[in-house]
Amino acid sequence: MKKILLSLLLLLSTVFASQFVAAAADLEVNTPAISAIKGSMQARHGQLGAHYASGAIGLTKDGLIAVRDANVVPLKDRAALNSAVAAENADRANLYKEIATANGHPEWQLEIQSTFAGRWIDKAQGGWYYQGASGWVQK
Amino acid sequence: MNYFIRIVSFLCGVSYSVAVHAVSEISIRAASITHSQGDAQNVVLHLNFDQPKFNKSTPTLTLSSALKQKSTKDWTQFKLKCDLPENTSLGEFNCADGLLKNAQANIPFSLEINRLFNQGVLDVHATLQLRNASLSDEAGLHAAENLNGKIDVSLRQEGRAWAWQTALDWQSGEVFWQPFYVANGGHQLSASGTLEDDLLNIKSAHLKIKNVGELDADGRVRLSDTKLMDLNANLPSLDLSTAYPLLFKPFLEKTAFNNADVAGNAALMLQVKNAELKAFELRLKDVDIADKNQKFAFYKLNAKLPWSYDTPKSVSMSYENGNLLNLPLGKTNIQAEVNRFSLTSPNIRLPILDGALNLSDIAAARIGGQWYWHLSAKLEPISMADFSAQLKLPRMLGKVSAEIPLVTYSGGTLTTDGSVVLNVFNGTATVTQLVMHSPMGIAPKLNADIALRNLDLGDLTRTFSFGAIEGKLDGDIEDLELQSWKPVRFDAVMQSSPGKYPKKISQRAVENISALGGGGAAAAVQRSFLRFFEQFNYGKMGLSCRLRNDICQMGGIESTPHGYVIVKGSGIPAITVMGYNQTVGWSELLERVKRVTDGNSRAIVK
Repeated sequence: MKKILLSLLLLLSTVFASQFVAAAADLEVNTPAISAIKGSMQARHGQLGAHYASGAIGLTKDGLIAVRDANVVPLKDRAALNSAVAAENADRANLYKEIATANGHPEWQLEIQSTFAGRWIDKAQGGWYYQGASGWVQK
Repeated sequence: MNYFIRIVSFLCGVSYSVAVHAVSEISIRAASITHSQGDAQNVVLHLNFDQPKFNKSTPTLTLSSALKQKSTKDWTQFKLKCDLPENTSLGEFNCADGLLKNAQANIPFSLEINRLFNQGVLDVHATLQLRNASLSDEAGLHAAENLNGKIDVSLRQEGRAWAWQTALDWQSGEVFWQPFYVANGGHQLSASGTLEDDLLNIKSAHLKIKNVGELDADGRVRLSDTKLMDLNANLPSLDLSTAYPLLFKPFLEKTAFNNADVAGNAALMLQVKNAELKAFELRLKDVDIADKNQKFAFYKLNAKLPWSYDTPKSVSMSYENGNLLNLPLGKTNIQAEVNRFSLTSPNIRLPILDGALNLSDIAAARIGGQWYWHLSAKLEPISMADFSAQLKLPRMLGKVSAEIPLVTYSGGTLTTDGSVVLNVFNGTATVTQLVMHSPMGIAPKLNADIALRNLDLGDLTRTFSFGAIEGKLDGDIEDLELQSWKPVRFDAVMQSSPGKYPKKISQRAVENISALGGGGAAAAVQRSFLRFFEQFNYGKMGLSCRLRNDICQMGGIESTPHGYVIVKGSGIPAITVMGYNQTVGWSELLERVKRVTDGNSRAIVK
């Protein structure tokens, strides 16, 4: 009986270990690096907002963004769209890394990234696109 | 070739419009044709011998069909209407009305075929004119709109090969071909060469890009995967104000040079052999390049940058002036040796303000897309007055100099071995264990230990308008970490330097130190009559702060049951200043310092 209980406990702790990580990670932690990255993303959002709404770009399931359909953007703006997406993804990757570092657990980066992926999609406005299990979905 | 054609169902109807003397129309229809490469549907070939035109009877040929490549799922509509030559030599066709259309493309065109055969050999000369053509791939990353252009092609069979010649006049219309964008026409290309099997030989090509420059090239392209096998290209004169956004910026997206204003002239030669870059030479002439985020700028940049896979080359570069992270750079000449993927230089001197940064024994290498380098650095004294003014800091006196035997840069991290010594406030500040992460990135990080010795408190307090203190200060700031140039962690201890020297503190400085301690209760002056004195003697002063998570854990030179001693009195009149706040929010403390140094402090001394 004792053995069964012990293994049950072990099993439970494995199952919840990842939950504990997410629970323990402070996603709102603030450092100068994080606020610099957020500031840069905030500044870029003015440019990206219209592209989310038009469906030119969408939120990916791994917490980044991607060009979904460049056809809705005039030709002259497509290079800038690509650069903005690349710059945004560089910032996002940096953000996840910095939040993990600020929590004292750099190895949490991937989990923090996947938690953020869900948060971005939850916070997305209606009409925006995000990547579902089988492709783009309009919210 | 025709062996491959397998006609699944072929309905052929030849309709005779039975006139008295001749056949006036022929229609051939095929419902479906399949081929190993693609399919055709609803093929209609219609010959009309009785179309009156200019009072003459000109035969016309109309061909329409739906076409589809095996690999795609969308059908493309194809339509072409041509006037046939009256004589039967089959030489000249004039097809004014052609259209290629599917979900992603709408290409109206006209086609003029001037010659098809010459002495029994296929020898085509044709001109294709695009009329407001639009096309795009599904993702929209390769697209053209309102494209008007004329393509002149000659094609002649020579044994197994084809000799070709073309002249292309891009009249108007915009194109985005990731990562390039061309806003409008006015560009011309003329080229000639041969086509043999899969290889397109370009004997010579001349490209004129409007407002940018001209390109002469020859080379070979493998068509199956559009791989550039060989290339000799020469761009003798490029206007960088137009060439930078068009040609260079797309390749610099991931570098620090992706967001700059560029002007000046450049020349580029390029050699590719067997699909590998063999050599290039880039020359810059009077180029001004300035980052739009003011991180760097170089003016009157002249450079000769040759590179070869096989032989070492000498590169040289100079600029008249510039700036880097707000520090002005003076006239600089750089000479270096480049050997395949490594670069070495015995010495580079970068004048900065009134001093200079001397770099020596420089070795750099690019491995796996990352830069690695090391060098030794010596900073010739720079006056702090200029330095502080440039960085918009309070005006400081003294000189900064440094000697770092080894600076290493590897994968975005800069590490130093040695120390940077700043001679400031009649004392020294020694920075050791200096490490920087992505200094040009969005969130630069800096780690260091700083030791302050014998700083003149008189100079220091005057500089920061703190209220006069006479004496000397030592400090140790260990485990310092800056993020985006703001402190996030350190263990700092500041206290009076050992030794004998006058130690005096003004009434105002006492008020200010009390204000730093927080609230009115933070300070205590032992005897109230002391407020009548302008200045007091002290024996020792000190303050410590251990910064973690934006909270400063404070301490003084000694602890008491209720707080800590910041200034300990000695002699007559003596004063002791206490601190009671054990923890202070870092941003709150900075606010207090700012209020004090701005002279707005209204601390109450009881």
